[in-house]
Amino acid sequence: MDILAILKELFAGVISMVSVDGLKTLAMFIIAGVLIYLAIKKDYEPALLLPIGFGAILANLPDAVVLGEDGFLSVLFNAGIANELFPILIFIGVGAMIDFSPLLKDPSMIFFGAAAQFGIFATFLVSLVLIPIVLPATAGDESLILRLASAIGIIGAADGPTTLYVANHFNLKDYMAPISVAAYSYMSLVPVIQPPVIKALTTKKERMIRMNYNEERASKLALILFPIIVTAIAGIIVPMSAPLVGSLMFGNLIRECGVLERLSKTAQNELANLVTILLGITIGGTMVAENFLRLDTLLIMLLGLFAFVFDTAGGVLFAKLLNIFRKEKINPMVGAAGISAFPMSARVIQKLAKEEDPYNFILMQSISANVSGQLGSIVAGGMVITLVSMMLGGIW
Amino acid sequence: MMKWFMMLTEAVEPVSEVVETAAAETNALVDLPLFTKGLLTTAMGLLGVFLVLTLFFVTIKLMQRIGAKKDEQ
Repeated sequence: MDILAILKELFAGVISMVSVDGLKTLAMFIIAGVLIYLAIKKDYEPALLLPIGFGAILANLPDAVVLGEDGFLSVLFNAGIANELFPILIFIGVGAMIDFSPLLKDPSMIFFGAAAQFGIFATFLVSLVLIPIVLPATAGDESLILRLASAIGIIGAADGPTTLYVANHFNLKDYMAPISVAAYSYMSLVPVIQPPVIKALTTKKERMIRMNYNEERASKLALILFPIIVTAIAGIIVPMSAPLVGSLMFGNLIRECGVLERLSKTAQNELANLVTILLGITIGGTMVAENFLRLDTLLIMLLGLFAFVFDTAGGVLFAKLLNIFRKEKINPMVGAAGISAFPMSARVIQKLAKEEDPYNFILMQSISANVSGQLGSIVAGGMVITLVSMMLGGIW
Repeated sequence: MMKWFMMLTEAVEPVSEVVETAAAETNALVDLPLFTKGLLTTAMGLLGVFLVLTLFFVTIKLMQRIGAKKDEQ
């Protein structure tokens, strides 16, 4: 056998690096490097960005065997994302971490969880206009435009599992990488995205508004009944939200029932951590150059940012609207916590409040709005799936 | 028995009519222009989210009331 042919085959990977594909690989390595840098150096959602970054490196290696039919990233994708298992398991963990008592004491905060979903629908509409223009290949394919616009809008839910759930439901595997990267990276960038929007929409005086808080804990019975009733209501009215609401509330019931402490701790720690690792690296594995280095990615990233900004604005403006009618004023910044990035958004709001008045404590109200946002985003996801499916003749 | 069966079949008819009407409505939605579909989804979606969260609000308020009554007792 020709020695040159043997060498060529042996070093096929090295040779491919000096081709156009090699440049694309290099670009993906740089993107992965940025994600890993943000995770380690800036501490932005390291539990997600680091596995995503590393998964992206693995997926873009020449002749990526990890993505072959039996490659472990393909196996993980089929086992956890294609069948929506990972988002569901993550939600059991998240549910076990959430304390609904602040919300049960001040239920009026729940409406911010609805108002802050405004960005989802605003982005959905903008996407419907922009997708056919920016991506001419989609023109005429109404089904793809509607499905893609839904998944892009849901990025604004600031809720990775719901975004994955919707994108997967609408069979958008080719767009999974940019959609999930946008969702998770913007979630980690909440401390950077939200403050300028909030400051632009509020006055210093408004940001200094203090709010009363009742320290009493909600009754145990209420804490146990709440997840059960919420599951029933959401499941009956928006059946498509049942898997996510159900798993979130199941996790919460484990936490609140008081007799499953071991399971609750496992769900909060081992389960959530394990699935986060697997989810992150699997999403990273979808970031193959040919699927990622496209105009679609840029559009999805931009519209995702738009969704986050408008969600924040929706919450703040809704709080300002309520203040017109309320005697006891609400700090409008609390409205911004109605997005579902839990608990980061609530922390950001408290930090902003402290910047204006070191003695202002609105963390608990922000947490209430934040957990409502968690519920609101799931319901919004279910609504979008149901309505868009109807618009498409019930095929999806 | 026969009378009961007749009543049952009569009751079934309106159900099939409802199914037909729903199917016709779904077809009407499919024929709408793209942006109208978007507007409709937006309006119904936001309304749905507010409706469901309002029901959660009512539930919490009811639970608070029951809790308060229990405390009084």
